[in-house]
Amino acid sequence: MLEKNDLEKLAELSRMEVEPAEEEKLLKDLGGILDHFEELKAVPTDGVKPMTGGTETRNIYREDEEGNGLTGEEAKKGFPEEEKDYLKVPPVFE
Amino acid sequence: MDIKDLTIKKVQEGLKGKEFSAKELTDEYLKRIREKDGDIGAYLSVFEERALKAAGDIDERNAAGESLPPLAGVPVALKDNLLIEGAVATSASKILEHYVASYDSTAVRKIEEAGAVVLGKTNMDEFAMGASTENSGFHPTKNPHDPERVPGGSSGGSAAAVAGGMALGAFGSDTGGSIRQPAAFCGIVGFKPTYGAVSRSGLMAMSSSLDQIGPFARTVADAELLFDAIRGHDDLDSTSLDLPELEPLKKEDLRGLRIGLPKEYFGDGVSAAVAKGVEEAVEKLKRLGVDFKDISLPHAKYGISTYYIVMPAEVSSNLARFDGVRYPGLPEVEKNAETLRDLYFKTRGEGFGAEVRRRILLGTFVLSAGYYDAYYAKAQKVRRLIGQDFDNAWGGVDIIMTPVTPTPAFKFGEKTDDPLSMYLADIFTVSANLSGVPALSMPVKPYPLGGKELPVGFQLMGPRLSDKKLLHIGKFYEEE
Repeated sequence: MLEKNDLEKLAELSRMEVEPAEEEKLLKDLGGILDHFEELKAVPTDGVKPMTGGTETRNIYREDEEGNGLTGEEAKKGFPEEEKDYLKVPPVFE
Repeated sequence: MDIKDLTIKKVQEGLKGKEFSAKELTDEYLKRIREKDGDIGAYLSVFEERALKAAGDIDERNAAGESLPPLAGVPVALKDNLLIEGAVATSASKILEHYVASYDSTAVRKIEEAGAVVLGKTNMDEFAMGASTENSGFHPTKNPHDPERVPGGSSGGSAAAVAGGMALGAFGSDTGGSIRQPAAFCGIVGFKPTYGAVSRSGLMAMSSSLDQIGPFARTVADAELLFDAIRGHDDLDSTSLDLPELEPLKKEDLRGLRIGLPKEYFGDGVSAAVAKGVEEAVEKLKRLGVDFKDISLPHAKYGISTYYIVMPAEVSSNLARFDGVRYPGLPEVEKNAETLRDLYFKTRGEGFGAEVRRRILLGTFVLSAGYYDAYYAKAQKVRRLIGQDFDNAWGGVDIIMTPVTPTPAFKFGEKTDDPLSMYLADIFTVSANLSGVPALSMPVKPYPLGGKELPVGFQLMGPRLSDKKLLHIGKFYEEE
């Protein structure tokens, strides 16, 4: 069963604020969903290979050649702020 | 101009015979959007100028006697998680309210190369998480057949645009049923291709091992034309692939075709209206010579648990990029945040809606130390078993037929308090995503524009790469 401190830890790992007022409802909802997952315990899976993706295709290579990617200018348009040809981010070290 | 029985084929003929111009057609749809969408709420943004320009180009090429591409002049709508260079793309999330895409998704590039006219971007559950479009960060979308009911989700805006006559076709994404379920609720056709049949480049990633782009249309014939325009290998998505060439199926080929009815999909949870609709469809296919066989997919019942572990796990990592730094964040938060940590926590706490946050927390939980094996690794194994059920079934049958949803469209607010009840709405659709097989959702019978009857659909699933076969069967069904 999920407890309040578990929820706080998950919020910390997710880098996402959870308001104290919504904790009770979140614990109830997540608890109900995790209870539903209990049914999987009854499925024998010894020796079953995990399915780790949507395709069985392996080792997809391409020629190591320059393609029609975005130019530097185009790529920068995808970022909110720039300064003197650098992408601008808030201070990381305090 | 009357668009009531319009199809892509009729658009091709009409333009060729100069019965109408692409501009007239686009004008008609834009007019319908202006008149009707205030009530329905299918669109998040409409590109009037861009659409009229694209239509004008088609008309010029037509006047010059050029041969026109297959979707020339066809007015389509796009789910708001597909990128168009220079256009706002929000995924119906407040966190991306000010984001303008810097490149085209491959699917959009191909749609426009095929001559289609993009009318606008449609509403959806935030980041494609939901089954009713009630999780949109902006506004709800109503079902065109009954305004008290949801259009389904997450691609509810795309489905409502087509069912409401505000686009001739549309595109959406399907991670656990997000094309097929709204198609069924709105009485139209929706197709989830084989995993990899359509490039995901430029589709905002929700759950990368499950997501597929696919079409919505009024008929299967139209859905096939829309699908043909977007499918195929793309260097920008290494999981994408070309389908093998298939001789078009002939009507005679339906004689002796073996369709399996899995008993797990016809239990107590199926409403009388859906059961009756699917039965009607079975009878019609029998008249076309199809043989039906009862089969079992023993792990199907674990689909929801498996899906709601695998998907949130992928969601929690895919949505980590929305941190207030890499994309335009929330202006208020940015102004007041004192530290980087503050910026992360507040942007994500305030920018994501309740369902998205629930799934991020759930995904973080199933991947966290001490729980990974019990949840995530276990689900990946059961996912394998669900896929093997299908592989085993193909020995005895060619196609599998099921309901799309347990019930017809439900009412607003009916499932919003209890997330698990909303998740269970996906019970018949998630297995196709988990195993990667193609799945077609089509109406039991035509549901006309403006009709009040609550639609019911059925689902056809086939082996991986059998996409065209499913569509051809669907075409014979609707022609009969």
